[in-house]
Amino acid sequence: MAVETLIEEEEATKRIKKIKFGILSPQEIRKYSVVEVREADTYDEDGAPIASGLMDERLGTLEPRARCKTCGNTTARCPGHFGHIELAFPVVHVGFVKYIHEILNIFCKECGRILIPEEEIEKYREKIKQVKEELGEEPTQIYEEIKHKARKAQRCPHCMKKQNPIEFSKPTSFYEHVDGVPRPLTPSTLRGWLELVNDEDLKLIGYDPTAMRPEWMILQVLPVPPVCVRPSIMLESGIRSEDDLTHKLVDIIRINRRLEEYTSEGGAPPLISQELSDLLQYHVTTYFDNETSGIPPARHRSGRALRTLAQRLKGKEGRFRSNLSGKRVDFSARTVISPDPNLSIDEVGVPVEVAMKLTYPEVVTEWNLEEMKKLVENGPDKYPGALYVLRPDGKRIRLEFVADRSKIKEVLEPGFIVERHLKDGDIVLFNRQPSLHRMSMMAHRVKVLPYRTFRLHLCVCPPYNADFDGDEMNLHVPQSEEAVTEALELMKVQDQILSPRYGGPLIGAIRDFITGAYLLTRKTTLLTKEEVCTLLAAIDYRGDLPEPAVKKPQPLWSGKDIFSLLLPKDFDYVARASICRGCTQCLKEKCEYDAYVVIKDGKLLHGVIDKNAIGAEKPESILHRIVKEKGTEAAKDFLNKLSRMVNVYTTMKGFSYSLDELDIPQEVKRKIERRMAEARKKVMELINKFNRGELIKLPGQTLEDSLEIYIMNELAAARDEAGVLADEYFGMDNSGSVMTRTGARGSSLNIGQMAACLGQQSIRGKRIIRGYKDRALPHFKPGDVSPEARGFVSSCYRDGLNPWEFFFHAMGGREGLVDTAVRTQQSGYMQRRLINALQDVRVEYDETVRTATGQIIQFRYGEDGVDPAKSDHGKAVNVERLVERLKIAYADSREKPAPKEYILKKVEEVRGELTPLLTAELKKALLKSDLPKRAVDEAVETTVRDYKMAKIEPGESCGIVTAQSIGEPGTQMTLRTFHFAGVKERNVTLGLPRIIEIVDARKTPSTPIMNIYLKPEFRKDREKAAKIAQSIVYTTLSDIATAMYIDYAKASVIVELSPQSLNERGLTPSEVRDLIKIAGCNITLEERWRIILTPRNPADLPKILTRIAYIPIKGIPGIRRAMVVWDKGEWVIQTDGSNLARVLRIPEVDPTRTTTNNIHEIASTLGIEAARNAIINEIVGVLEEQGLDVDIRHIMLVADIMTFNGDVMQIGRHGVTGEKASVLARAAFEITVPTLIDASIKGLEDDLKGVTENVICGQLIPVGTGIIELYMTPGRLGGSQS
Amino acid sequence: MSVKKEEASFKVFEHVLVPKHEILSREEAEELLRRYKIKPYHLPKIKDTDPAVKALGAKPGDIIKIIRRSPTAGEAVYYRFVVRER
Repeated sequence: MAVETLIEEEEATKRIKKIKFGILSPQEIRKYSVVEVREADTYDEDGAPIASGLMDERLGTLEPRARCKTCGNTTARCPGHFGHIELAFPVVHVGFVKYIHEILNIFCKECGRILIPEEEIEKYREKIKQVKEELGEEPTQIYEEIKHKARKAQRCPHCMKKQNPIEFSKPTSFYEHVDGVPRPLTPSTLRGWLELVNDEDLKLIGYDPTAMRPEWMILQVLPVPPVCVRPSIMLESGIRSEDDLTHKLVDIIRINRRLEEYTSEGGAPPLISQELSDLLQYHVTTYFDNETSGIPPARHRSGRALRTLAQRLKGKEGRFRSNLSGKRVDFSARTVISPDPNLSIDEVGVPVEVAMKLTYPEVVTEWNLEEMKKLVENGPDKYPGALYVLRPDGKRIRLEFVADRSKIKEVLEPGFIVERHLKDGDIVLFNRQPSLHRMSMMAHRVKVLPYRTFRLHLCVCPPYNADFDGDEMNLHVPQSEEAVTEALELMKVQDQILSPRYGGPLIGAIRDFITGAYLLTRKTTLLTKEEVCTLLAAIDYRGDLPEPAVKKPQPLWSGKDIFSLLLPKDFDYVARASICRGCTQCLKEKCEYDAYVVIKDGKLLHGVIDKNAIGAEKPESILHRIVKEKGTEAAKDFLNKLSRMVNVYTTMKGFSYSLDELDIPQEVKRKIERRMAEARKKVMELINKFNRGELIKLPGQTLEDSLEIYIMNELAAARDEAGVLADEYFGMDNSGSVMTRTGARGSSLNIGQMAACLGQQSIRGKRIIRGYKDRALPHFKPGDVSPEARGFVSSCYRDGLNPWEFFFHAMGGREGLVDTAVRTQQSGYMQRRLINALQDVRVEYDETVRTATGQIIQFRYGEDGVDPAKSDHGKAVNVERLVERLKIAYADSREKPAPKEYILKKVEEVRGELTPLLTAELKKALLKSDLPKRAVDEAVETTVRDYKMAKIEPGESCGIVTAQSIGEPGTQMTLRTFHFAGVKERNVTLGLPRIIEIVDARKTPSTPIMNIYLKPEFRKDREKAAKIAQSIVYTTLSDIATAMYIDYAKASVIVELSPQSLNERGLTPSEVRDLIKIAGCNITLEERWRIILTPRNPADLPKILTRIAYIPIKGIPGIRRAMVVWDKGEWVIQTDGSNLARVLRIPEVDPTRTTTNNIHEIASTLGIEAARNAIINEIVGVLEEQGLDVDIRHIMLVADIMTFNGDVMQIGRHGVTGEKASVLARAAFEITVPTLIDASIKGLEDDLKGVTENVICGQLIPVGTGIIELYMTPGRLGGSQS
Repeated sequence: MSVKKEEASFKVFEHVLVPKHEILSREEAEELLRRYKIKPYHLPKIKDTDPAVKALGAKPGDIIKIIRRSPTAGEAVYYRFVVRER
C-alpha cells in the first residue's frame, strides 16, 4: 500500500493582533542575515549556486526536492532567509529623503536638539498631551507648527554655537548652503548629524524613537532578500533568466566591490571614489524604487525598465491589490454559462468534470460510513467518488496512486475525512464579475449535469447581470461545515430576492416568462384537459383538478384558474397590470384590456399577470407580497413553479416575432409620411425666421442655439407622433406589442423606430454638425441646416435607411458605445472609493453606526434603525395597507368602532417603541378607519412587531452595502451631461459626473446654480423679480465695454461702453463713471458712451488698463447669469453661478429657502448639518433624474460619513479614506509606498480593526459573523474545579 | 439704481436646510457619554466656526444636540462635539 505523505495539515491557531512599523537598524539587519553576500555572480559553470554569491544556498532553495541549507525544509516550507551586503560607503535610502531633509533642518547639527527654545518645548509637550487625551488622535497640526518654527531658526537655542544653513536636495543628493554657496554633502556626513539627534525631541515631531533612529535612514548594510523573493526562470531555450531584483543586486555588489578595493588601496583619487559612490547611490536608489523622479530608470538590455521593489508593491497589479486584498484560490472553477429553466432558482448546474475535480472534505461519521466507503471505492475517476482520504493522525492518502482502494475502504472509520467529489445538494458560491453588489455572489445548490457549461435559472440572471452571449462565471466550494452554514444563512439565492438597494425584489420573472404569463392568463385562453394536465405536471401538482370554467361542449379550463393554483390560499391582491393604458375613467373590473388585477382567496378573478405582478424591481408585486408575507422559501417555490408552468405553456402555445408584424397599412404609412413632411416644413419655417432675424431668442441662449433647440423639439415631436401612430395600430395580436406592453422587453420607442421613424441622431446632445467642411457629409451643401443634413432619420428600420442616414446613425451609435466604455471605468473607480471609505462601517449592538475605531457616524442606522433590504420600498411598516387589510378582515364583524380615546391611548403606549413617523401614521390611519377595538389592538401590535422585524441587525456591514447600492447603479448612469433638448437651464451637470463631483467634495461644482426665492412682496411680481435678477448679475467693466485702450495722444485710457450691454444690465454711463474710482486719476464722460481716465502720472497708463477690466460695477461676484422662472406659483430667480453668503443677505431675498448646489458654500454659510442635508438632496436629485431607485438610508450614510468631522470631506484618499487609522488599509488603497514609509518613521501601529487589514492577514473580518467574540469565565469548568 | 445696497442679515436657523441645534448641559452631556460608553472624541464633530455654533454661542468642548427632520423616522436626534478649528 503506497501511502503518500504530502503537506502535513496544520491549523493556524494564532491571531495577529497588531502590526508595528519601524526601520531596521544595521545591527538587526546583520543579525537576521545568514550570509554576507560578496560575489556578484550567481551560478558557476556547472549550474550550482556560488557560495557567498547571490544565489547561495543558505538563502533558501528553489529546486523542488532540495533541502534548504539553513532551515532544512523543503521548498514548500522554507520561508526564505535574508542575507546582507556590507556597503563600502553609506547610501541614502531614497524613500526617506523627505524625512532626512526635514530632520536636518529642524535639529541642531552640533548638539542634536530641536531648534526650539526649552520653555516652548515644555509648552508644546503639554499641548500635545492635551490633544491626545481630549481628541484621542495625533496632533498633526501641532507637529506641523513645531516643524515650521524650528525650520526658521538660524541658531540653535541650546548650544548656541551652530548657525544652520539650509539644506537642499535633488533626488538623493543633499547640499548645505554655506553663506549662499551650496556644498555637497556625503551620506556619511549626514549620518553623523543624524546620529546626534535627540530621542525625546523626536517625539515632538511625531516620530517614534522606539521604532526608528534617524541615522538608520541612511544605509550601511543592505538586506538581501531570499531567493524565493527573486526567483530565476527557465526560458524555453533552457537558459536561466534572473529576476530583475537579482540583476540590480548584482550591479550593487559590483560597484560595492570596486569601492572596497579603492578605499583599501589607499591611493584613491577622491574624484573616482566620489563617482563610484554616486553610482552606488544610484543603484541602491533604483533598487528600491525605479520610478524615482529625477533619475533615469535602470533598464534591461531589452530596453524595458526594471521592476524593482516599489513597483512590486504599488498599483492594481501590485502586491497589495493583486496578491493580498485579493488572491487566486483553490477549489474554484470557471466556465461558460448557459440557461436552464428546469432548474430551481437556487440551483446551479455543474458539469461532471468540474464536480470530479473540486472536492468537499466530508467528515466520516457512523451515519455516512457506508456511503463514504462507496465513494472511496469508486475512487477519483468514477463519479461519485473521492480523491483523498485524511487519516486522523494527519496523513493524507492520495487515492489516485493507491493500487487497491478496497483496503483503504476497510480501514475507513468515523474521524477520517474523505475529500469527495461534489454532489447534488452541496452548497457552492456562484459569482459573476464585476461583482458590484452582494448579489453578484450567491449560494447555490449543486446539480451535477453532463456537458461543460454552468447552468443557471434565467430569473437569477439580473442580479448577476449575466446573459448567455458567452459570459463566464465562477464557482467556489466552501470547505468546512462552518463555511457552508455561513453561506446558507447569509447568501442563499432566495434570501437575496429583496435588494438592499431599494427594498424591492431583484429576482423575478423576466422576458418570456412575462409574455407567457400574459398569454396564459388572458381571458381568451382556454385549455383542454390534456393541456391542463401537462401544465400541472410541470409544477408537480399534487392536488385535485379545479373546476373547468366551461363545461359544454367539452370541459375547458381558463388560464386564470390554472395560474391561481400557484397562489397561496389566503392571498388577496389588487393592482393594475403593466398593460394598463391609464385611461382617465378606469373601468376597474370591467377594463376592456383586462388590466385590473384582482385576486381573492388565492384565486385570480380579473386581470392578466404581467410584469407588474411577477416582475423584478416592482415593489407591491405579487412576488414581493409573497416574499414578505410567506417567506423566502415560499417565494422560491412560487417563482420556480411559475417559470415551469409558464415555460411549458409558451412551448405549447408558441410565441414568435416576425418581420410582417412590423407591417403597417398604407393609410397609416401615409399619415406618418404626412407628419414627417409637416415637420420638415415647420423646420424650414424656423430656419427662415432665423435668417430673417425674426426668431425669438430663448433666455440664456444665443440665437443659433435657440434655433437648434426649436428644431430638435420639433423633430422629436414628429418622431414621437409617428411612433404613436404605428403603436396604436398594433394590438395585442402583434407579438411586438405584447412584449412591450406586458413589460417583458422593449418600449414603444423601439416599436416606433422599427415601424415608423428612427428620429434625430445626436452627438453630445446636439444634431450632427461636424464631419466635413461646414457640413456633416459632402453630400450636402455647406451651411445646410435642414433636418436630413443634420442627422434626422425619417426612415424606419423595417424600410431601411439611406446611406447618409445610416452613417449618421452609426455616428450616434458610436457615441453610445464610447460613453458606455468610459462610464464603466469612472463608475468603477467611484465604487472602489466608496467601498474603501465605507468598508469598516458597521452597526453596533447599541444600534449606532461606527467605524473600525469606534467613531460614531450615525446614532441610529438610517435614523430609524431599519434595514433597507427588509423594508417595504423604504418604509418599515406599510401602515395604510395594514389598516386596509384589517378593514377587509373585520368587515363582517359587527363590533362597534373603537372610540378616539382608545385609539390615542393604545398608540401612546407604544410611542417609545416606534419612530415618531410611524406613531403619527398609525394614529392618523386608525382615526380615519372605523376599526373595532380588537382590530385597533391588532394594528398596533402588528405595527410594533413588523417594525422590530424590519430593524437592521448588529454586526451588519452597512457600509459596504451602502457603497454597493450607490456604486452599482453608477454603471447605469449616463456619463454625458445632456439629455433634454428642452429649454430650461440645461447646463446643469447630471448623472455620474455630478455624483462624482459631490462625492469628491469638489470645491466648486462645474455648473454652479442657485435657486433664489423672494420675499412674499416680490415673488408674485415678474417686474420686480426681474429687476432683482438683473441687479445681482456680476458685471465688471470688461463686460460692458466694447473697447478699452490707451490713447497716448491724450495720455489717457479710453473705455468705450456698449449701449446694449448697459441696457441689459440696467446701467447708465454716468453711473458707471461714478463707480470707477482710482487714486490720482481724473475720470470724465465724453459723448455719452465714452469714459476717459486721465492719470496724473502717465506711466501708470498700462497698469490702469489692466486693472480697470476687473473693476466691479454691479452685482454679486460669482453670479454669471440670472433669469426669472415661474415655479409652483411664484417667480424664482435661477442663476448661473453661486454666492450664497452674499445672496442670502439681499433684502428682497427669502433667506429661508434660497439654495445653491455648491456644497461648500452651504457648509460655510449655513453650517455642516445644512451641508449634510444638501449632499443628500443633491444625490437624491441626480438618482431620481436618472430614474434609479436607491433607499435614502444609503445616501444618508454617505452624507454622514462625509461630514462627521465637522467639515465636508471627500470620499477618496484626501478625505475619509486617507484619514483611516490603519496603515495597511491606506497602503492598499492608493499611495502604497509613501504610506508605508511614513508609518515606519512614525512607528505607527495597525490594530487590525478594519476589513482590509484582516483580509491581508488572512483573518476573520470584524463585521458580520466576525463581530462575535467568545469570552470564557475561568474556574467555572465542570468537575471538581469550583 | 445704486449698486451698493444695505445688506440684511439672515438667521441661520430659519433656513430650511438647517435643523434645530441645542447645547447640552453638563449633566446631559455626561449622561450621553455614559449611555454610549464613549469619550467625547468618538462623537461626530462640529467646528467652533460653524455658523450654527456661532449663532448658538457654543464653545469648544460643548456637545450640541441636533434635532433633524427625518424622511425615515420623522424626527431624529444627532449629537456633535464642538472642536476648535485647525
